[in-house]
Amino acid sequence: MRRRDVVVALSSSEDDGIPPPSKTKTKTKTKTKTRQTQPRSTSRRNSKKPRLQQHQHQHPPMFNAVNCDALDKDFSDAFMEFQQGAGYRWSNNGELWVEKYKPKSLEELIVHKKKVEEIKIWLKERLTLSKEEFRTLALVVRGPAGVGKSATIQIIASHLGARLCEWNTPTPTLWQEHIHNSTSGKQYTSKLDEFEIFVETIRKYPSLSFSCSSGSSSPCVLLIDDVPLTNGRSALGRLCNSLHVLARSTVIPTVIIITDYSKAESADDRSHYFDVLQSALESAGASKVTFNPLTINSIKKTLSRICEEEQCHVTSEQIDKIAKASGGDVRHAITTLQFLSLRLGHTVSSSLINPTMSCSKEDSEVNLPDDGCCLPFGRDETISLFHALGKFLHNKRDASVTAFENNVFTLRKRFTRLPLMMATPEKVLDQAHGQARVVTDFLHENVLEFLSNDAIDDAWTVASYLSDADNLLGIALPWSMSRKYEAESIVQSVAASVAVRGVLFGNSHPAISRWHSIRKPQLWMIEHSALRNKFEMVRHRIEGYNALKLADVCIMATEYKPTLKWIEHNVTEYFDSHRMVEENECRMEGLDEMDWTSCGKSDDIEDW
Amino acid sequence: MLWVDKYRPKTLDKMMVHEDIAINLKNLVTEQDCPHLLFYGPTGSGKKTLIMAVLRQMFGASAEKVKVENKVWKVDAGSRKIDLELTTLSSNNHVEINPSDAGFQDRYVVQEIIKEMAKNRPVDARGKKCYKVLVLNEVDKLSREAQHSLRRTMEKYSASCRLILCCNSSSKVTEAVRSRCLNLRINSPTEEQIVRVLEFIGKKEGLQLPPGFATRIAVQSNRSLRRAILSFETCRVQQYPFTSNQAIPPMDWEQYITEIASDIMQEQSPKRLFLVRGKFYELLINCIPPVIILKRLVSELLKKLDAELKHEVCHWAAYYEHRMCLGQKAIFHIEAFVAKFMSIYKAFLIATFG
Repeated sequence: MRRRDVVVALSSSEDDGIPPPSKTKTKTKTKTKTRQTQPRSTSRRNSKKPRLQQHQHQHPPMFNAVNCDALDKDFSDAFMEFQQGAGYRWSNNGELWVEKYKPKSLEELIVHKKKVEEIKIWLKERLTLSKEEFRTLALVVRGPAGVGKSATIQIIASHLGARLCEWNTPTPTLWQEHIHNSTSGKQYTSKLDEFEIFVETIRKYPSLSFSCSSGSSSPCVLLIDDVPLTNGRSALGRLCNSLHVLARSTVIPTVIIITDYSKAESADDRSHYFDVLQSALESAGASKVTFNPLTINSIKKTLSRICEEEQCHVTSEQIDKIAKASGGDVRHAITTLQFLSLRLGHTVSSSLINPTMSCSKEDSEVNLPDDGCCLPFGRDETISLFHALGKFLHNKRDASVTAFENNVFTLRKRFTRLPLMMATPEKVLDQAHGQARVVTDFLHENVLEFLSNDAIDDAWTVASYLSDADNLLGIALPWSMSRKYEAESIVQSVAASVAVRGVLFGNSHPAISRWHSIRKPQLWMIEHSALRNKFEMVRHRIEGYNALKLADVCIMATEYKPTLKWIEHNVTEYFDSHRMVEENECRMEGLDEMDWTSCGKSDDIEDW
Repeated sequence: MLWVDKYRPKTLDKMMVHEDIAINLKNLVTEQDCPHLLFYGPTGSGKKTLIMAVLRQMFGASAEKVKVENKVWKVDAGSRKIDLELTTLSSNNHVEINPSDAGFQDRYVVQEIIKEMAKNRPVDARGKKCYKVLVLNEVDKLSREAQHSLRRTMEKYSASCRLILCCNSSSKVTEAVRSRCLNLRINSPTEEQIVRVLEFIGKKEGLQLPPGFATRIAVQSNRSLRRAILSFETCRVQQYPFTSNQAIPPMDWEQYITEIASDIMQEQSPKRLFLVRGKFYELLINCIPPVIILKRLVSELLKKLDAELKHEVCHWAAYYEHRMCLGQKAIFHIEAFVAKFMSIYKAFLIATFG
């Protein structure tokens, strides 16, 4: 497959004039490859196709450069170099493991049984019973990438003996192609247009569109794997509309797959976008199945099965790490595994060539670094600041461990704490990219709610550690040292560490775990409005207080202002009333803002 | 105009308190050789009044023709340019600023302003070069760096300008600056002096003072003359013919702190701590300096406290006051103090009452 891909890509780049294939329906499962080869235009293809097929049949396992003689000479040279340079033989496993170990039966699926069952029943009912019994024949399957949505549908369909028809996503048009097309007089149709046309066809000629593709009488399931992406409100509206029409008018069971992006990945309204699509479909009466990320255990099982079959030597710890790093994405996990075994194989072969190096090299390459966050592969392991804060504040500890005999020091009872149920706090901070000041402020704002209401001693411990952290942050480094960034960053990270560990240590009687919302520090708002009030006072100090001197702000705040307010309250003749009113308004504004921070801007966090 | 400003003595001769210092200052200024001056002492003792009178003595009535300017200073701080906005009060011969308004960039202010002042020295009527005076308020709030640069500029430009510094506590001014100045400690006026001033104002305003009334104000003012005059005026607004048992209204923030103190005494729990934090925020919004909040809070708490706890509470108050000065955000330290107090007090209650 790998090999074929290469060839196809080349040939398609040779004939640029091909229009993007439109709404051809194939029944093959391997979409990408066949889709691209099918609509090849006439004359050139005729001359080449036999050759392609020829080498495919004659030398299936090995890619031999000699066979490429019909292809571009340069390319074959380059490919030769690539092949030799890589130093790795494709021969025995020239396939991506993701393709190779694609689940082939229901048993091999590692999706949760209930979900599989749910979809199976849904499909079965709709395939066997008559169409009039259901309001709609559409199903929305939604979930993050790599959890086996498409695979589940495909397997269930084949299990039920149904044909799977797909709307073939048209290949995206490149800009060069577009230019080329427009000069040759071809019209550009957007993917959305094509999708609309497709939906229209289904609506108008329901039986026609599927019967033509095959003569058999086996039931048919329509799968829409790639919903076209749209940009802008009107385009989204059109897409929603056509999805709605599709869900309403389809006469064969239709499965629409929506792949979620995780929220952390796209802070913008991408996820919102899919919500809109889903609600459009559901309003048309489509049923819905949501897939969750796969569990680490099931991924681990799959990985070790592959390891056995491939006979590669990956330790169970490494599998564990890969599974954890994958974040429930089995496709990613398998690719990572293949990459890892590739690395291993590579080092082994190079160590054979160069035996003196073998020991050190194997040591350095095979042993993965201990901390998961700097694996040479894997998904980005960053977590959001709120996630980290939740970890710190909830302070989950491993209650099962009771003995401390393995400790080197025996601590007094009041200093002993159960082990933490998380990575070292510094690491968590690191992953969350928490800045010391921000983290400290957030902890200060929220920590009191997480203390048991009797534990005032704990409150003091926490408060004193936070005060320590604040002092560390307030350290004015000597002029010579403040130029050096390391010194400052050390102070920062120490301060963050003190704050976090202080909160973890101090909170020895946590409140009963319940749902909390984490608030944004009110302190920021307070500081802001205090500063504004101060400026206000400074600005008014001359004309307002009518003095020949500059009064200190603190004296104005503590003495002049209360007096003036008092006087103003009783008699107005003493003072220009207009200004005081203004000041009062300013005060009121400050209060309003406080309310706003406390209720409006709270970020919700679940109890984990 | 408030009475505090209305009855402020304009010249050194008219001083009603610190007459001895006023006479000495007058002699000093008339001899033409005025050193740098550092006035320090508690609030409401008359430092500013003395400074103004000294300026008037030096430059005559022109010192009172002041103009207010909101000036933007462009400062070249090594790698970047900083814009600083600062209010200045200036006459021909003197400039008054509050450098600590500029926050942590205060060191640039001191340098730049003094430099600029030194550049254009005024020439007096007889064509003789004379010096300009720079009045710096709240010197004790200047950062260490600013004080060091102040010292340097003091030496460099001493020919062309004189500094008059004013602060509450000389202990927060570096030795180097202090030793270059003539230090003048301005004590708080005694209660008798305050009573005298109040009676003087009462006479000028044509008010009838019941016996003992002025004394009560003086006692409550905590020996701050400004405070005494302000509350005197408040009383006048509140109720005129004075009655001898008339209540003297406290400042609103003080009342608020009293409330906080009773909150703390009532219940000791994290929830209460959170409630108290909200009240501190309210005070901070109104620019009440955190140190004053803490001080006031401690004195309120001590009033209600058992004698055996007082020592410990004072210790922790001092501890956190110090840390407040070192740290960045005062609320952290105030809160730590309150938590500590709650913890101590709760343990005490449990030990005493079971």
